[in-house]
Amino acid sequence: MALTAGSPEPQSRSLPPAWTAGDTVGNMQEVLEALETYKKKDPAKVVVRFKAVGNAPIMKQNFYKITASNRFQAVIQFLRKELGWKAGDPLFTYINLAFSPAPDDTVSNLFKSFATDGHLIVNYSTTAAWG
Amino acid sequence: MSYTPRHAPSAFTTPASTTLFRRLTWEGTVPIEVRVDPKELPANSDRGLECYYLQAPRVSYLPLLVPEIKRFLTDVVFDDAAARAMKEEDWWFESDDGALLKWHWPVGLIYDYHTITSSIRPSAPPQQTAPLRLTLHLASPPTDKLLLSPSADACKQAFMGQMKEADFLRWGNTKRMTGLRKAEQDGLWEGIKEHNFDEYWRVAAKVTPTTSPNRSYSPPPPSATSMHTRPPSADPGSSGQPDKDGAYNVRSVPVRMYLPDGPVLQDLVPPMLEDGTMHTLAHFLHTHLPLIFPPPNTASGRELAYPLVQGVLVPGEAEMAWLGACMAGADGWVNVCVGIQRDAPRF
Repeated sequence: MALTAGSPEPQSRSLPPAWTAGDTVGNMQEVLEALETYKKKDPAKVVVRFKAVGNAPIMKQNFYKITASNRFQAVIQFLRKELGWKAGDPLFTYINLAFSPAPDDTVSNLFKSFATDGHLIVNYSTTAAWG
Repeated sequence: MSYTPRHAPSAFTTPASTTLFRRLTWEGTVPIEVRVDPKELPANSDRGLECYYLQAPRVSYLPLLVPEIKRFLTDVVFDDAAARAMKEEDWWFESDDGALLKWHWPVGLIYDYHTITSSIRPSAPPQQTAPLRLTLHLASPPTDKLLLSPSADACKQAFMGQMKEADFLRWGNTKRMTGLRKAEQDGLWEGIKEHNFDEYWRVAAKVTPTTSPNRSYSPPPPSATSMHTRPPSADPGSSGQPDKDGAYNVRSVPVRMYLPDGPVLQDLVPPMLEDGTMHTLAHFLHTHLPLIFPPPNTASGRELAYPLVQGVLVPGEAEMAWLGACMAGADGWVNVCVGIQRDAPRF
């Protein structure tokens, strides 16, 4: 199974010769089904641990199980609700006291890359801390 | 994909070739057609001219293209009253398949993602160099879906966040990024705004790993296998080694995989495998997307998918570490877009 599609020119994005034979339609169906498999949302939950920074109010409960397929934006919204924040109240969120993730990244992706001892640590602050 | 495991990096790791590939990546541009939604075109607009074409740098962002588009619309299309009433903070873009375009995605990624998403549509036109057709809406932005405000400043903050996330993945901390002076951090963004390779890389070279050759490549330390559970404070004690800043010594290469119509997947990508060989793109795809890139020696193995990085079809032997040093976007991330070869081959 050799991949020969190594040409840098986009114009030559043609199939390697190995693909010319056989039932390509059937294979296409397989690929589309495979894509659907990867699109399925991960129902697993992961532990998110909220930690206040600076003057931010401390939460009574700071461990939550959150569905991994949620986007980080959902975590921000959940946190705002728990804190009783109104729209426009400033809130800055960070992972591991280090960076703000993109709001459309998933909790699952962040957990896989940045979890510490089985927790995804989300720091929150009312002022920009590591912006 | 077949490949021979290699224990040493490829020949494309000399300083000259690293600079060459960084420049090729940086200079990449994509064709874009911007058309104002005809339903929203103000009265008295010149309807024959509502289309604008531009060749945008891959490393740029939509908010940075807005001033140029606005200039065209006010100078050529709108009358004075409409030009005065125009509020660009209400603007938003949609692609021809109805997808909302994110303000914080690099233009090159938007283009490649559109290419691979089109690759699974039955009606996908076979053309390869067509412009990305965007509809510009002038009002009622769906802010809950766009997530960020369209301002260049919000985009800069998001960019800095991505730089730091990439830094953290590589080294387990963000010391390299936070160690930059304010003027240097601003210089990164200015370099993108001005599409100035030297200005950007003057600073980026301090945070991006190098691919210097002539080093000894011993297998990674045993601790590398427990990367998932290691707390971020436990930075690998690589200090004292001459190549501690090298691309092959990072904890993980910042990589995201994009599939047609989503999802976006991210995981740790060590530059070396446990057996001491280089982590190649072929290995990476076989491991993370085995249904689409079946591992070699499996009966079903017929690949219909292709990996695009910066619009380039990348061979399976490419090393993840090399991609991270030479073909990452300006935000430090290697975006691997997976397309599907739908049509009969063109020979």
